[in-house]
Amino acid sequence: MIPSTDLWPRLRPLLDRAEKPVRYIDHELGSVHRDPQAPRTDTSFAMVYPDTYELGQANQAIRILVNAVNAEEGLWAERAFLPAADFADEMRAAGLELFSLESCAPLREFDVVGITLPHELAASNVLEVLDLAGIPLRAEDRGPEDPFVVGGGPCTFNPEPYALFFDCIGIGEGEISIVEEVRAVGRGRAAGRTRERILEDLADIEGCYVPRLYAPVPAEEVRETGALVRPTNPHAAPVVRRRVYEGFAESSGWEPCVVPFADLVHDRLSVEILRGCTRGCRFCQAGMMYRPVRERSADNIVESVERGLAETGYDEVSLTSLSSTDHSQIREILTRLNVALAGRGIRVSIPSQRLDSFGVDMAQLVAGEKRGSLTFAPEAGTQRLRDVINKNVTEEDLFGALTAAFEQGWRRVKLYFMLGLPTETDEDVKGIASLVQRAFEHCRRIVPPNERGRVTFGVSCALFVPKAQTPFQWCGQIPPEEARRRVTLLRNSVHYRSVTVNWHDPATSFVEAVMSRAGREGALLVEEAFRRGARFDAWTELFREDAWRGAAEALGIDVEAVAQREFDLDEVLPWQHISCGVRLPYLRAEYRRAVAEQTTPDCSFGICTGCGLCPDLGVEVQTQEERRG
Amino acid sequence: MVSLGPMQRSDAAAHARRVAETQSKAAAALGGVPEELWRLRVEYAELGRLAMLSHLDVLRFLERVVRRAGLPYAISHGFSPRMRISYGAALPVGIGGLHEIFDVLLTRRVPEEKALEALSGATVFDMPMLACEYLDRRAPAASVAFPFSTYEVELSGPVKELVLPDKIRIARGGKGRKKKPDRVLDPRDFLVGEIRARGAVLRFTLEAKPTGSLRPDVLVRKMIEGRDLQILSFIRTQAAPAPPR
Repeated sequence: MIPSTDLWPRLRPLLDRAEKPVRYIDHELGSVHRDPQAPRTDTSFAMVYPDTYELGQANQAIRILVNAVNAEEGLWAERAFLPAADFADEMRAAGLELFSLESCAPLREFDVVGITLPHELAASNVLEVLDLAGIPLRAEDRGPEDPFVVGGGPCTFNPEPYALFFDCIGIGEGEISIVEEVRAVGRGRAAGRTRERILEDLADIEGCYVPRLYAPVPAEEVRETGALVRPTNPHAAPVVRRRVYEGFAESSGWEPCVVPFADLVHDRLSVEILRGCTRGCRFCQAGMMYRPVRERSADNIVESVERGLAETGYDEVSLTSLSSTDHSQIREILTRLNVALAGRGIRVSIPSQRLDSFGVDMAQLVAGEKRGSLTFAPEAGTQRLRDVINKNVTEEDLFGALTAAFEQGWRRVKLYFMLGLPTETDEDVKGIASLVQRAFEHCRRIVPPNERGRVTFGVSCALFVPKAQTPFQWCGQIPPEEARRRVTLLRNSVHYRSVTVNWHDPATSFVEAVMSRAGREGALLVEEAFRRGARFDAWTELFREDAWRGAAEALGIDVEAVAQREFDLDEVLPWQHISCGVRLPYLRAEYRRAVAEQTTPDCSFGICTGCGLCPDLGVEVQTQEERRG
Repeated sequence: MVSLGPMQRSDAAAHARRVAETQSKAAAALGGVPEELWRLRVEYAELGRLAMLSHLDVLRFLERVVRRAGLPYAISHGFSPRMRISYGAALPVGIGGLHEIFDVLLTRRVPEEKALEALSGATVFDMPMLACEYLDRRAPAASVAFPFSTYEVELSGPVKELVLPDKIRIARGGKGRKKKPDRVLDPRDFLVGEIRARGAVLRFTLEAKPTGSLRPDVLVRKMIEGRDLQILSFIRTQAAPAPPR
């Protein structure tokens, strides 16, 4: 049913006290409003990004899923975001519940509330969403009038730390499954089915994990069962496998979008040019989550960009994917776009380039971006460690890419590395410094003498977080003190002032690792941390380490062990009942190849590496032309 | 639209020199042919809840309206090409406007009605495009053309005996050593005529001076300080080059 309450009259007076009222007023170009004459029997869906408008509005999942649901007869979707922390407190004081943007309706009145789980630090914000909305935090406490809360996104590949709070969790690509989920709830409610029966209908949908239909397996039966939770209901599958959106390549790259009034983090037209990346970097969860590689055609992309710019009026378009320079037609696409957009003051950007596919031609084609800095992600400082993580780039690749870029006028470079990768030694840490400094010296040599001072290198170090469904899922994270020691070692090894080293606070990375590797106790942990004040954990100024520590102590959970313990290769993992499609023996084999410093090629470049996904899911790699290495 | 007064002679000369410079840069870029550009002034309104947009939000929006309208806008030459668009005086967050303006340079002279139709199709309901006219390129900039702004404010209750403060202290940004000293303004320096009150509605005109301006919302908030009154709506009803009669 369409919500009946309009909270705008109560919201409007509060906006005078809001720091940025633009976050809450909706009415943007592209926002879709219901015809008040239309029947109220449509099934209603609120799609939530668990952070503020500025961070969430550009999110691809919100756009795609709202469009997918609105395209269907009998279904209706709106967006919602979290208010900024101080405005949330104003709302609580005024007794105003969390509302959707388009019709300013309480989330509580929607049939289905979808919350995407973009990263592990969003967990406490998920609870903030439910709390502000007046929806019982735990699925087991919800009654017939409460919405069905469904989840999706990257963190669903280990859903256990969220399992208590969601009625249903959709694993994998949600374009099709979200429609099926919303319909199931709509039909069920219209037919007067009980909540339990509707949960079964949801569990029947492929890729849907309904935690309430599972129970923990007693310790002595875990080995035999092969999982830590098992179904208690015939509708629930012992292993839930992710969905693949098979129609991706043929579908249009133009996703109707809202053009915000507000100043967003990345406010530009986004065209997804391909999905999936099978380079096989062993730390990378996205590489496992989005296989196989599926490319949209150059015609599709160019048309989508033209159409998108005409409809939105943006002055920048981003060709998004996990690895855009790997698209077999990337040169053709960029050439055609540079011609089509000439003289209009419009920039074409590509997120992080692959070092081994960035040569002179690419540097010329993305020349429009010279103003900013060029971003590359070598991830490890020595060839040995790069081979361990299967990041198949060499020093030659890096120097070649930098030469090509600097000859085209770039002067600023940002390089991403990770600390704490499996098998890392101090040699590898010093290797980062060595590599970066030699690259810096190389770049200074190739630019004209009067420009040498303009060359700046930024080194950004993240702490490795082991992720479910990757070959490194058995590895632990290094303790925060050890992380600090390695950063200090790195910093002390860098001698140039124009080379700056940034790093993430290990305390937040530690919480990420806990939430990435925990079982169901992770849900108890985040619930208690939330009660103690944790929210907006991804915002450095709001992260409450004490809330998390206090929660761990109160519950008696050894969070160090959760984050840092190595799992045995034949141990049953907390997420073993969820499959990303890649076979477990393949992940084990990849881990062993990592330890042996052996590399694995990218299957989208021709040779199948035997991960098992394509035959098991009945899908295949779709490239427009042959990919050449 | 209101007619515009003549520029000072020295300003015109300086302006003409700048125009000539831009032309020759363009000339070089295009291989010797000077660009002929037309200056289109667009009048629009900012209504309803969109009054809560900040000035930057509005600027961002207007630039995109011009693109969506498909108008042949001119771009600056050089490293980072931008649309050549300039804006009227800022409206603070919370204040709407009935006759706001922006100017955009076009590379072709599109008939006014066609331009207005295209812009109207590219905007949202609460930011209607009202009128278009072509100006001489040397006419005063949109941001300074109309220094006299008239405002209408609706309060939550009748306005009896509102006292105009003698001094308004404006806190300015910065922290610690970098904190800029507060400015103290006398509203009478900026008010043109009296503040007229009828029932719960206030009307007044402020002049923006080269040395600075008094923000209308700062003035009204100061006047209702301590009273149990809220601002229900706040709108700039007119902007003019000379004091209204």
